Amino acid sequence: MATIDIKDILISARLEATRMRHYYLGIEHLFIAMLEVRGGLTSTLIFEAGFNPEYVIESIRRKVGKGSRHRLWAGIPTTPRADVVLGIADELMKESELPHITERELLIAILDEGDNVPLRVLSGLGVDVKSLPQQAKTRQITRAVTQPFVSIDLAPQFGEELNKDELFILRRMFHGYAQVRVETRLRGGYSDSTLIVITPIQGDNREDAPVVVKIGPHDAIYDEAQRYERHVKGTLPPLTARLEDTVIAPQISDLAALKYTLITDDNGRALDVRGIVGVWENSKLANWLYEKLYNSFGTNWWMQSRPYRFETWQEYDWLLPPILTLELAKNEDATEDAIVLRLPIKRARLNHIEYGETVVVENFVVHRVDREQKSITLALGQSGGSITRPYQIKIRGINFEEDTYFRGEVVDKLAGRVWKTRNEELENAVRALEPDFDHKQNAVRFGDFYAPNPIMAYTTLLDTPVFGSLSTIHGDLHMGNILIGANDTALLIDFGHTREGHTLMDWATLEVSLLSELVLPHLEDGWASVRQLIPYLIALNESRIYSESSPISQKLIPILRLRQIVAERLAKPNHWEEYFIGLALLALRGVTWETLSVNQRRLMFLVSALAMFAIAKKQSPTDDHNTPFDDTEFSKNTGL
Amino acid sequence: MVKTLSVIVLSGAEDGRTHTFSQGHEGYESEDSWSLSVGRRNDNDLCLQFDTFASRQHAKLHWKNKQWWLEDCNTVNGTFLENTSDFFSEERIKGIIPIQEGELFRIGRTWLRIQPNE
Repeated sequence: MATIDIKDILISARLEATRMRHYYLGIEHLFIAMLEVRGGLTSTLIFEAGFNPEYVIESIRRKVGKGSRHRLWAGIPTTPRADVVLGIADELMKESELPHITERELLIAILDEGDNVPLRVLSGLGVDVKSLPQQAKTRQITRAVTQPFVSIDLAPQFGEELNKDELFILRRMFHGYAQVRVETRLRGGYSDSTLIVITPIQGDNREDAPVVVKIGPHDAIYDEAQRYERHVKGTLPPLTARLEDTVIAPQISDLAALKYTLITDDNGRALDVRGIVGVWENSKLANWLYEKLYNSFGTNWWMQSRPYRFETWQEYDWLLPPILTLELAKNEDATEDAIVLRLPIKRARLNHIEYGETVVVENFVVHRVDREQKSITLALGQSGGSITRPYQIKIRGINFEEDTYFRGEVVDKLAGRVWKTRNEELENAVRALEPDFDHKQNAVRFGDFYAPNPIMAYTTLLDTPVFGSLSTIHGDLHMGNILIGANDTALLIDFGHTREGHTLMDWATLEVSLLSELVLPHLEDGWASVRQLIPYLIALNESRIYSESSPISQKLIPILRLRQIVAERLAKPNHWEEYFIGLALLALRGVTWETLSVNQRRLMFLVSALAMFAIAKKQSPTDDHNTPFDDTEFSKNTGL
Repeated sequence: MVKTLSVIVLSGAEDGRTHTFSQGHEGYESEDSWSLSVGRRNDNDLCLQFDTFASRQHAKLHWKNKQWWLEDCNTVNGTFLENTSDFFSEERIKGIIPIQEGELFRIGRTWLRIQPNE
């Protein structure tokens, strides 16, 4: 079957050149146009080399960058190199006695020319470019997508279905096996990803060791693979989860997948820490956290910390909802009275921006592109692919037909009207918890006790300087990402957020997770019940147990041990503010998470408030530390 | 023999074009070096007139001690070297650094390479 004509390729190549504001026709535009042909020769070869054509397109755009809004010439001239390539393709056409150039001749010519942007990007991504010319000459394209057949069985305890895309990915990933058994879904990916444990089975019914498969949006999955290479691979203890090399990314969907091999317990099951809640004694879990998790990963991660002075927003702002959601303004000229946001940002000003006002953002980086929601998220900061970029701004109403955006692109100017502010979003999140107190005051009243209101106090917290430490951190160390293997070895999975960051963030993340999954399930629904925890949490923040005999205190034993780890890692001994700041903001993020139950989110609100209370106490030395229930000091300060 | 320099453009509107210079004809000579200027303004030896991200006077190439040197003229958008270990994060250069034939560097949005002398 013939490949498509150059005429059609040129049309979409010129569109690409215009969308990218390049206004010249280069090899990169031709190649992107060829990759856009689904099931075409180029996209098929790239796909078979293990890469998603969409991802390659994004990578080329990222490497080349968008042009400036000022046009310097009319028309769309062809670059000297594109002229050369089109010349080669023309000769190939004549040799083959074809009526016109097709995708095949063009691809052979691009590969033959050998010195162009797309080929450099392919090599940079790790595509085996040398094998492509032969395939470009001989590969026949048929429309039928061949789907390898692997029988997929759901284990009885799995108890739910997999969707069509997930099944397709699993069939590709386990191509060559007769069968796979889907064991369990690991809970609590707070991201858009799915984690499942799978046992591959050979043709002769031999079972291979189970693996963890993560399925998620393809850009996130590729990022995770890169992070693993950079931060994780060389620093893991000898026995642990390891990432297998290739990412599986089928063309049919935006999903991709990767798999981690595990060393599991004797009966072949991988347990996450959630699975042992109620099975292990609390003291066993506490010791395990310290001995197995902290000690085995710590030597290369948290213990390798260096002094790091930062302002809280640098490490924690990105956790919270976008500071603004804007509706894209069509007419950029009508922005005379607009509020302009650019570096350096004055936070005090952000707090006064209101619904309907026009805001112009300058020199922000595209952080996320969401085609389904027709939105992009921008963040501040020019360099790197950092996930922790602060000051995220969401822009709604993007028309992706007219305009293209890619991750990492610097947007020099964009205007929009304020649709929602972060403060509104936080207030709505708290209202959804049906508070039985006034949630619009600076202090919230829990019975006869007052604490700072997290949704009011968080902005001051974000501006607080922290004397902390920096190390490799997991970045999302909740209970679902910690597995228990043979001989109770600790295994970590899901390295999508692994980076150099504030050392204590991992422990604050784990504390929040332990509180909501280990402690909370024993309480009834409602504020009255959640409030019972107040004396326990205050005692915890003072590193002591409130009431030895109570069952709640028993549940807090692992967290008390976690606090010992934190105590060892505080940059300045006994200066717990460094930890409470992270805890307060991570818990505040939890308040906005709709994947948590209402009661879990109530607990998050309380944890955040109490962490802020602990910080406030430290800052007013006149406080009497022995009477945590005496609210006079704090309530006097807040004027209540 | 007269020293010559060939620089090939590897991206942008002039992708594929080769600029050739020879000592005595182009550039500026001092006692022990030969220097060529790169930038958007048309009085540069290597003029990148179609790259709005290049500064008017952006960078210099020096031949000194039998070796090429690349100098960034304190530009807003910077001069970068290709990073072989991390393809997508390029290394911004400061001051003057040695550069090998065949090594890729970026001025504004334009990728360039010194072609090996035959």
